[in-house]
Amino acid sequence: MEAVGGLLTGFGIILTLDNLFFCFLGSLIGTLVGVLPGVGPLAALALLLPITFTMTPVGGMVMLASIFYGAMYGGSTTSILLNIPGEAASVVTCLDGHQMAKQGRAGAALGIAAIGSFVAGTLGVIVMTFFAPTIAAVAIRFGPPENFALMVLGIVCTLFMITGSPVKGALMVALGFLTAAVGIDVVNGRERFTFGSIDLSAGIELLAVVIGLFGVTEVLNNVERVVKSTLVAERIRGLWPTLADWKASWRPMLRGSGLGFVLGLVPGGGPVTASFMSYALEKRLSAHPDGFGKGAIEGVAGPESANNAAVAGSIIPVLSLGIPSNAVTALLLGALVIHGVQPGPLFITQRPDLFWGIVASMYVGNVLLLLLNLPLVGLWVQFLRIPYRVLFPVVLLLSIVGVYSANKNVFDLWVMLGFGVAGYVLSKLKYDLAPFVIAFVLAPLLEQSLRQSLAMSPDGAMIFIQRPGTALMLVSSALLVALMVRRKPKGGSR
Amino acid sequence: MKENTIALALLSALLVTPAAAQNGDAKAELARLKPGDFPTAPIEYTVVYPAGGGMDVTARLLAKYVEKWSDHRIIVNNRTGGAGMVGHAYLATQAKPDGYTVGIIANLMWGDAMLRAQGRWTYTDLEPIGYLNSDALTWIGPTEGPYKDMSVKQLVETAKDKPGTLRVATVPGSMWDYLIEQVEANTGAKVLRVPFQGGGAGINALAGGNVDIAQGFYSEFRGLADAGKVRPIGVAASERLSFLKDTPTMNEALGGLGGNEYQWFVIRFAVVPKGTPEDRKAYLGAAIRAAMKDPELVAEYLKAGVYFDPKLTDAARMQANLNAYVEAERAFYVKTGRLK
Repeated sequence: MEAVGGLLTGFGIILTLDNLFFCFLGSLIGTLVGVLPGVGPLAALALLLPITFTMTPVGGMVMLASIFYGAMYGGSTTSILLNIPGEAASVVTCLDGHQMAKQGRAGAALGIAAIGSFVAGTLGVIVMTFFAPTIAAVAIRFGPPENFALMVLGIVCTLFMITGSPVKGALMVALGFLTAAVGIDVVNGRERFTFGSIDLSAGIELLAVVIGLFGVTEVLNNVERVVKSTLVAERIRGLWPTLADWKASWRPMLRGSGLGFVLGLVPGGGPVTASFMSYALEKRLSAHPDGFGKGAIEGVAGPESANNAAVAGSIIPVLSLGIPSNAVTALLLGALVIHGVQPGPLFITQRPDLFWGIVASMYVGNVLLLLLNLPLVGLWVQFLRIPYRVLFPVVLLLSIVGVYSANKNVFDLWVMLGFGVAGYVLSKLKYDLAPFVIAFVLAPLLEQSLRQSLAMSPDGAMIFIQRPGTALMLVSSALLVALMVRRKPKGGSR
Repeated sequence: MKENTIALALLSALLVTPAAAQNGDAKAELARLKPGDFPTAPIEYTVVYPAGGGMDVTARLLAKYVEKWSDHRIIVNNRTGGAGMVGHAYLATQAKPDGYTVGIIANLMWGDAMLRAQGRWTYTDLEPIGYLNSDALTWIGPTEGPYKDMSVKQLVETAKDKPGTLRVATVPGSMWDYLIEQVEANTGAKVLRVPFQGGGAGINALAGGNVDIAQGFYSEFRGLADAGKVRPIGVAASERLSFLKDTPTMNEALGGLGGNEYQWFVIRFAVVPKGTPEDRKAYLGAAIRAAMKDPELVAEYLKAGVYFDPKLTDAARMQANLNAYVEAERAFYVKTGRLK
């Protein structure tokens, strides 16, 4: 009941004209940032951080948080319409979302993405309202061995994502691992595979890889088809999800919400990992996995819910422990510190106004975003009518600005270009790009948690058996692999 | 909270009172030093670590007060990657020495220059123009489990009696590692070093019972320490910190076991690329000094949990004392075979 009282206080704080305005402004900016390819929430937050100095702590935090989850709403838009992810957490949405758009069902895909985001965001904040301190206390126990087991489970799931030739898919996973190894060794601090280059010592930037592989590749692919003037044939069937769409989507939404929430809590996890794992999970559970990649609405509903739930999940450790789990939440923490607020276990009791204000704003923000995004569906769909000789140069330009804005490093643009060309060649040769990206995202976490676990264990690898949670997840992974090996691929591989 | 207030009052008294009188003159002094042709565009403060971290908070607060005192627009830009390596190299080799680029950096740059720059640049390519603040590396211990009541000395003795059992969080290739290395070399203890990507992640692991000792800065563990989830046990500085009066220095606590050179801290200061015109350099430095004399900025820094090294707050001796710190660090690298 304490939570209800707190929440009422929070609504009292948030339902004032200026705080509502900041929440709306943040949602609007977040949506925009999500829609613009390349420009992600991190760059936007860093850019807008100074503006919040002049606001009250509540106003500033409400705006920054709403940009973060607002971006998850907007991110799916270009994925679905253009096959170009708005930000890294929407890469998987391209796979089925864009296929739906090609079939004239862009409206349904956009609608389900917005509704999934709303459901997950709201469920996340409800859980946060009642259980934040408890969840934080459990999450903090989650150590390197548990993290390692979770990442193994993740890698096994990605194997389900491979379409077409398993050999080619496995090759892309391996390449993803290898590419992720470039940079500073997480354990001894030495440079690996950098060939003396200062730029490579920073490792290869995820955003540049994603925008290159998906954005630039897509532009190159479309340049070939000069004869067709617009992206999608004129027919655009129905703007809204049908009853069948709903039936197919509600379970993936709920599963995505749960999975995303948990992955948001884990150190190093967050919306990107959550969206990929949700896609893999839905494909695994689906009665018709062959439909994935050909416009299955589950492949949109799951990941788009998961990335929003991950936002709620990742805000909990920041507010109730003062511990950020990813770069965006680290920035939120910095914003609080600049306002002279030190989040920690005592934050909720010391600054109830701030904590409950932020929680209440997330309820309001999710409603605002749904109201903002649903009417936009009709508008976005019209974008498909823009001739691509106009659309793609703009998209390419925005991608360049977005990738540069993340680190202000020109080298990242070369990485983007390089991966764009590589992606084009690989897609011609029928190699899947998604397994590469997921391996690239998971590999550093996998390596680090493995080496941390071994470093902290006096008994070597025994640590993975000694900890029950770890052992359970590792056994599940082994069972999944066994199942995969036993099940003969139906109808052979393409 | 109470200690904080006292520390704040104490330090404010120490630093601000004599400075307060000069504040009125700061604008006049700045006007006198201002070159005729500079600045005509916003000045960029480059931060080599991500937005939101300790370095970024320091830079953004500074920018706010430099704007207040000099009436020039300051843009804070984060050029990140490779744990600062990319930004350091940018400042030393690419940034134009025209006064429009100021680096807000930390002494971690020295280690990058000496160990990782591979001759592509050196720390003398960046010239200090103003000292900002410091953070001392502190060892923190658990508040539950078998080690909950142990002092840093008892913990180190445990690691000596039962080598390879005590788990200590570290950040590879940095002062976190070096401090452990010194303790091990001096005392004969042997710990399990668990690598993390930053101090905060290690503190998280301590609070979750996944390591037994973590190392970090006051600003990073204050929240958890206030809640009794972790406790500071030793400070790697020559003197106790004003907000951690009850926490001994590592030199005090481990003195009996040998070794007294445990001094590892982050010093944050402003630099310009070598070759920046002298008049612009002097003006930029004066603008930062004016901001640093503003009691409001000092209060904001103290609230963020940092301290001010008396050896560096004296502008006249800053350069010489920074050099002394560089030499101490170099001596450690040479002694441990990292540098020839």
